[in-house]
Amino acid sequence: MNFKVVGNMLGKLLMYLSALMIFPLLFAFYYNEKSSVSAFIWSIIITFLVGFILHKICPFKNSIGNKESYIIATLGWVFVSGFSTLPFLFSKTIPKFLDAYFECMSGYTATGATILTEIESNSLSVLLWRNETQWIGGMGIILLVVALLPMLGVGGMRLVKSEFPGFELDKIKPRIVETAKTIWLIYIFITLGEIICLYLFGMPLFDSIINTFGTVPTGGFNHKNISIAYYDNVVFEVIIIIFMFISAVNFSLHYKFFHGDRKIYLKNQEFTFFVSIVLISTLLVALELRFSIYDSLLSALRYASFQVVSIVTTTGFVNTDYGIWPHFSQLVLVLLMFLGGCVGSTAGAIKSVRMLLLLKQLKQSFDKLLHPNAIIPIRLGGKVISDDIMQSIRSFFLLYIFVFIIGVFIITATGLDITTAIGAVAATLGGVGPGVGLVGPAENYAFISSIGKITLIICMLLGRLEIYTVLVLLVPEFWKK
Amino acid sequence: MKFKVVLNTLGSLILFLGISMVFPLFYAIYYQEGDIVYAFVASIIITTLSGLLLQYAFTPENGIGRKEGFVIASLGWILAAGFGTLPFLFSGTFTNFIDAYFESMSGFTTTGATVLSSIEGNPLSVLFWRDQIQWMGGMGIIVLVIAILPALGVGGMQLFRSEVPGPEPDKLKPRIKETAKLLYLVYIIISVLQVVCLYISGMSLYDALTHMFGTMCTGGFTPKNLSVGHYNNPTYDLIIIIFMFIAGANFTLHYKVLHGDLKSLLKDREFLFYTGIILLSTLIIATQLRIYVYNTIFAAIRYASFQVVSITTTTGFVTADYDQWPDLSKNILLVLMFIGGCAGSTGGAIKNIRILILLKKASREFQKILHPHAITPIHVGDKKISDEVVNNITSFFMLYMIIFVIGTLIMTSLGLDMTSALSSVAATLGNVGPGLGLVGPSQNYAFIPDIGKIILCICMLLGRLEIYTVLILVVPEFWKK
Repeated sequence: MNFKVVGNMLGKLLMYLSALMIFPLLFAFYYNEKSSVSAFIWSIIITFLVGFILHKICPFKNSIGNKESYIIATLGWVFVSGFSTLPFLFSKTIPKFLDAYFECMSGYTATGATILTEIESNSLSVLLWRNETQWIGGMGIILLVVALLPMLGVGGMRLVKSEFPGFELDKIKPRIVETAKTIWLIYIFITLGEIICLYLFGMPLFDSIINTFGTVPTGGFNHKNISIAYYDNVVFEVIIIIFMFISAVNFSLHYKFFHGDRKIYLKNQEFTFFVSIVLISTLLVALELRFSIYDSLLSALRYASFQVVSIVTTTGFVNTDYGIWPHFSQLVLVLLMFLGGCVGSTAGAIKSVRMLLLLKQLKQSFDKLLHPNAIIPIRLGGKVISDDIMQSIRSFFLLYIFVFIIGVFIITATGLDITTAIGAVAATLGGVGPGVGLVGPAENYAFISSIGKITLIICMLLGRLEIYTVLVLLVPEFWKK
Repeated sequence: MKFKVVLNTLGSLILFLGISMVFPLFYAIYYQEGDIVYAFVASIIITTLSGLLLQYAFTPENGIGRKEGFVIASLGWILAAGFGTLPFLFSGTFTNFIDAYFESMSGFTTTGATVLSSIEGNPLSVLFWRDQIQWMGGMGIIVLVIAILPALGVGGMQLFRSEVPGPEPDKLKPRIKETAKLLYLVYIIISVLQVVCLYISGMSLYDALTHMFGTMCTGGFTPKNLSVGHYNNPTYDLIIIIFMFIAGANFTLHYKVLHGDLKSLLKDREFLFYTGIILLSTLIIATQLRIYVYNTIFAAIRYASFQVVSITTTTGFVTADYDQWPDLSKNILLVLMFIGGCAGSTGGAIKNIRILILLKKASREFQKILHPHAITPIHVGDKKISDEVVNNITSFFMLYMIIFVIGTLIMTSLGLDMTSALSSVAATLGNVGPGLGLVGPSQNYAFIPDIGKIILCICMLLGRLEIYTVLILVVPEFWKK
């Protein structure tokens, strides 16, 4: 194990992080928030110094190995979340470290679960920072580093793979650095697009930025107590629905689309599967809402579509309290928390392509019962999916379910009812944010005990790094030799 | 498809069912239950005549193939449950066919979910029949899980193909006959043993018989409103715990033990896993109950162990209203409903061997991350599990979860809250019986609308026949040629 490489990379990460804190600092100056200004300055100094020292005492040698990349990815997220708590702590927005850490992890993993019971009264620059963590985390902090550091070489590929284990980069560009840059460019492009759209249709600039920082990483933080419902504006909701959707679609499809392949979306089976799930769920929920809550089909569709897209893309924005919806609709939302968006997007959870392949495998298992000796390959868009990939998808699904069950055990052990526990674990593991029951959209995570919060923090990290990257560090064999 | 042989076999099944109605008839005469005697006589006549008619109308050609095996198993349960309703309907215990069918299906699938809100007021002979169908369902299951399903290769159960005692024929029918002979003997010996134990410790013969019927098949019907809790007798509890435990273990193992091979118990990984799960769950629940509910450690262990064994073996007997227990305990019981008994037992649900292999499969992926090119097969004990079996088991698990999810969605759309909905489906799909919330141990299934009852009937059937056996009949390709 080459710990120096790990230390060096973590140091670099922290230095970048300190630079990213300058953005909210500017807003703190602009809004003349004195205590926030000093909070940000101190945070920048401390983060930079720690990063600089780590960087200096651990010189970069050779390349990054397989094992190191897992450690860097996991520790990177753990450290970055840790240092990002500083502005919250110094500005006294969140006095307790664990709470602040929960909020930051929720930010970087683009979950959007909050422990703030009162959001609006806090300083705007700190709230901006809270949303910026989401934006940074959305496309992957490691991917950002890889995009900025050309000297990583093969190690860069390894690093990206440990941050996006299920991410087939689909060879956008031959070199990983180029790919990382391209992806970040698309990300920035979408971000700017949404800010402009929201601003043009009448949202204040600050609100546009904050809401975009919640949408594009499919995070779900914003600076209003009742989330998007605050605006009660159909146009904003439509814009946000569209951008949540775009953000949950494989970015390499967007890339190919812009390079002239106009039919690429329809050719992609994952995309069509994802779209049909969204449409069917919206329809079912809207129908139930029409008969149980809303008088007009239009408002039923408005709230159903927003909530379905918000949950399935693992964003977690709220335009109505779905906690009071009938049980069926709520259950549909809980199930969507497991599905998530497409691979190669900012969405979390199991992801559509995995579900699609697992369903295909189910169909295959029936065929095999009828023809025990036939060899029936699983295909996706004409391509045969290798047995190796299918094996790892199956294992991932199983592990996801196991982690979910263990999480629910621990949360019920802290005294929460089963529905709440299911909602909380599904929402954090899938990177959604609000769950159901006591952690529903009108509630927050503040009341959960410390053990519960730690468990949910781990769930968020596990969900974001697709479980194996983190858990492999716990295998004793990993540390041998 | 050779329909003649299918109908002929079903005919003998129905004939056997008709003859078996003689036992409750004896009780009806013995207890001088007037009209009920006629109800049984009429049921016997109709059932035996239908059976004879089918047998004589269709002379069997030789050989039952794979497809016929699927059809016979599925239709066998559906028809048996149908004819089983006759005594209920003729005696006036049930006035609604769907209720009677639910109760009968719950019996034949050894589920133990009831729609009777008051049990004790009904004629004893009818209650005897209600329990007897469970025991007969258990007989069907033993042949099904030890001979038929392994031969058909359903859900990875081909794993047990070679473990069946007796000769190794290549056709289904002689194999079933041999296996049935050997294992029915085991089933009857253990059944007699339990009746003797209960009778000696003071239970009346009627009660001892009906409780044995509920135990050996891991069913859970009793003639008492409060189930086994009625007696409040630790000795009965203990005897029933032991026999539930036996019934939830592989009958092939019992066969070996009865032949003096005691070591096979300790060598069987599934048996050890099953025992481990039960001990661990009992320990956790007992600890929580000691703190929150009961004053003595003895009471906590007594109720915890009974409920854990009852749920894990998918029996569903109740000595305490566990719906009042703290959430963690309830949650553990809920998860146990999915695990179920061992393969080759009368227990339902996913089964321990599958869970064990799934756990190994999920953890194998870590080995793959550390050693990408190594080939690491899964072992259970010293037996290597083929990839095909592992894949079948994962597919089975997926399918089980999908059915569970669809069932729960339908139940919530009928207005049940999430906990009640998911536990009602888990309890019927796993053939347990009582669930949580509105279908908890002190409640029943009477209030569920007819559509819901039909769905739960389907769940019971699917769970009992390991899903594939039934669902394959819906695949159009099955009926081709």
